[in-house]
Amino acid sequence: MNAIILSAIWGVVLMFCSVLIKNKGVYRHIAALGLLVILAGNIHETYHGSFFNIDTHEMLRFSRFGLFFNTILLAATLLYVLLSGRDVEKAGGYVAEYFTLIFFVLCGASILTSFNTLLMLFIGIEILSIPLYILTGSDKRNLRSNEAALKYFLMGAFSTGILLMGIALVYGGTGSFMLEVPRSAIMGGYKGVSFLEVTGLLFLLVAMSFKVSAAPFHFWTPDVYDGAPSVFTSFMATIVKAAAFAAFLKLFEARVGDTSAAVDWKLLLSIIIVSTLLIGNVTAVFQQSVKRMLAYSSIAQAGFMLFAVFSLNDVAKEGLLLYATAYSLATIGVFAVLIKMKDVTFEGFNGLARKNPVLAATTTICLLSLAGIPLTAGFFAKFSMLSAVIKTGTYTWLVVVAVLFAAVSAYYYFRVIQAMYFKEGDAQTEEVTGGFKVLLIAVAALVILFGVQPQALLNWFYF
Amino acid sequence: MGILQFLFWLLSAVALTGAIMVLASKNPVHSVLWLIVVFFAISGHYVLLNAQFLAVVNLIVYAGAIMVLFLFVIMLMNLNTVIETRKNLWMKAAGIISGGILFLIMISVVRSSADMVSRTAQLKEGSIGLIETLGKVLFTQYVVPFEISSVLFLSAMVGAVVIGKKD
Amino acid sequence: MPIQYYIALASCLFCIGIVGVLVRRNAIIIFMCIELMLNAVNLLLVAFSKMYHGGAALSNATTTAGVDGQLFVFFIMVVAAAEVSVGLAVIVMMYRNVHSVDVNFLNRLKN
Repeated sequence: MNAIILSAIWGVVLMFCSVLIKNKGVYRHIAALGLLVILAGNIHETYHGSFFNIDTHEMLRFSRFGLFFNTILLAATLLYVLLSGRDVEKAGGYVAEYFTLIFFVLCGASILTSFNTLLMLFIGIEILSIPLYILTGSDKRNLRSNEAALKYFLMGAFSTGILLMGIALVYGGTGSFMLEVPRSAIMGGYKGVSFLEVTGLLFLLVAMSFKVSAAPFHFWTPDVYDGAPSVFTSFMATIVKAAAFAAFLKLFEARVGDTSAAVDWKLLLSIIIVSTLLIGNVTAVFQQSVKRMLAYSSIAQAGFMLFAVFSLNDVAKEGLLLYATAYSLATIGVFAVLIKMKDVTFEGFNGLARKNPVLAATTTICLLSLAGIPLTAGFFAKFSMLSAVIKTGTYTWLVVVAVLFAAVSAYYYFRVIQAMYFKEGDAQTEEVTGGFKVLLIAVAALVILFGVQPQALLNWFYF
Repeated sequence: MGILQFLFWLLSAVALTGAIMVLASKNPVHSVLWLIVVFFAISGHYVLLNAQFLAVVNLIVYAGAIMVLFLFVIMLMNLNTVIETRKNLWMKAAGIISGGILFLIMISVVRSSADMVSRTAQLKEGSIGLIETLGKVLFTQYVVPFEISSVLFLSAMVGAVVIGKKD
Repeated sequence: MPIQYYIALASCLFCIGIVGVLVRRNAIIIFMCIELMLNAVNLLLVAFSKMYHGGAALSNATTTAGVDGQLFVFFIMVVAAAEVSVGLAVIVMMYRNVHSVDVNFLNRLKN
């Protein structure tokens, strides 16, 4: 509850700041301060309970997993604001409003980690999406940004329609919006699985696949991620995607068990996963722009995160925590550098190592983590996802497929590294400050720390 | 066939005709008007189901506010004269076919769901659709989502200003 | 009224909306088709809510079972209103720049 309320309040605070404070440079400090406050509030709630005593009538349920996920999201956002806050100021003329919207997105994200009824799922997804349509279109003069906003908006609204149809059918089948309905209460003693509920869940699967950009429903992702200002792409690809995955996992964890008699969810999800990995990885190989490559690679990473929804066990939950952390850290790091580049094609990175060794080295570590090379956080994240699949005991061939595609992904990540270190060129960057470099080194250090000691994160979770 | 059944079929026919005309009309203004017809038909359905509050809100919010906003935008931008570029005929056929397949699947679900046979939606009776009942539940049990949706409105407001303002 | 009629009617409206989204290129009409989909869902929810209410009212005359379905519809309307304001703002912004509301205008500019 702390995270939801405090982030909503801080959003309003920033709205007032835009009126009261004219100096644009101050906003990001206020945002960072707010994130610290929310983070502290959330950690306090994890161990000692909420500041607010509100009876939610079981609409929200704050589990340790959800609160911990909030902590990860908030910490990632804090890092994001510290690293790229200065670039938010360049995205358009309404700096304070952009930060406001980021806080509202966080409010939606913390609803998604703790919803207990489909109503809160719906409201959470909407609060998450609506500010993003605006952030995508914040570069108002840029046609690509305009088109991205329009596409994102239409696809988002369309998938909301599908989500709602799913919710309506689930309601028709079970008579309740609660996530977990006691089976005996359904349909006055009707035995067996309700067809309506199953159809509704299929609709929900499609809608959630839209939101996390899984394969047959991924087509909006490259255009939107490419068209949006890079600062906001970074935010969308990490924090928002992780929150959507938390919701996906929570939803299916509650409902899949009861309906597996009627639908082979594992088969369906394995088809989605394989096609996501295939499309994401193979298309990423052929991209000329690093930004677009990262958009496709985020589809591929979504395929890996879907393994958590596939296996639905304790290992998978831990794996999702690790994966969200590793992926967010690395992607925020790479994007922070990408935003500073004058030219975002592969050629633009040529010779960065000689010109700016710190940037090149940290980018390399982040890219290695995304590729899942040992000694980086990405390795253990991928490893725990795959061990979750093995633990389910079925569909073990998926592990082989995943490892193969991880090898493919190494190719396009290494292309960037190759460009930075082994190609002659004159990589143009904007001015980078010393603080920025220190933060980047901190990100890289965290990536390596979680790669060597993934238990450091998980122990904290169980503490 | 009683009067209620007759009204049900009439309103359904109006709603479906309107819906088809929304996407068949060339002129966007006509589409808006047909969509308003659909909303009125659906409001009629709500009245039949004795969901009076929703019937009125549907008219006020959808037909009254949302569609007027659409009309404003269309007329201010003079879109009624813009001719839509032709879309590939194959794409059109594919869209219609996939929509049709989805419809068939949903209908077959209805036909084969054993738990829905012989269940009826109560017409005319029942007081849950009245403002009194809805209001009580909304402000006790549903007060948290109600308050949280204010964040949604706030972000939509901020967003509309950020995006819509000319700079 | 048998609930199956309502499910059939709502799915028909919903599918018409989906076909509209897939077939048309004018952003405003696509958006209207999405509104149509939401209305189909609303109708279905109200019908379900009355179905559950009717079932519960047989044993308990003062029950409020099924009221959550109608409140959900209320929330859908709230969200739809918010979405429309943002959506139309995005469409207007695009129109200012390119004088077109075609969803694929960039592809068209390239050709």
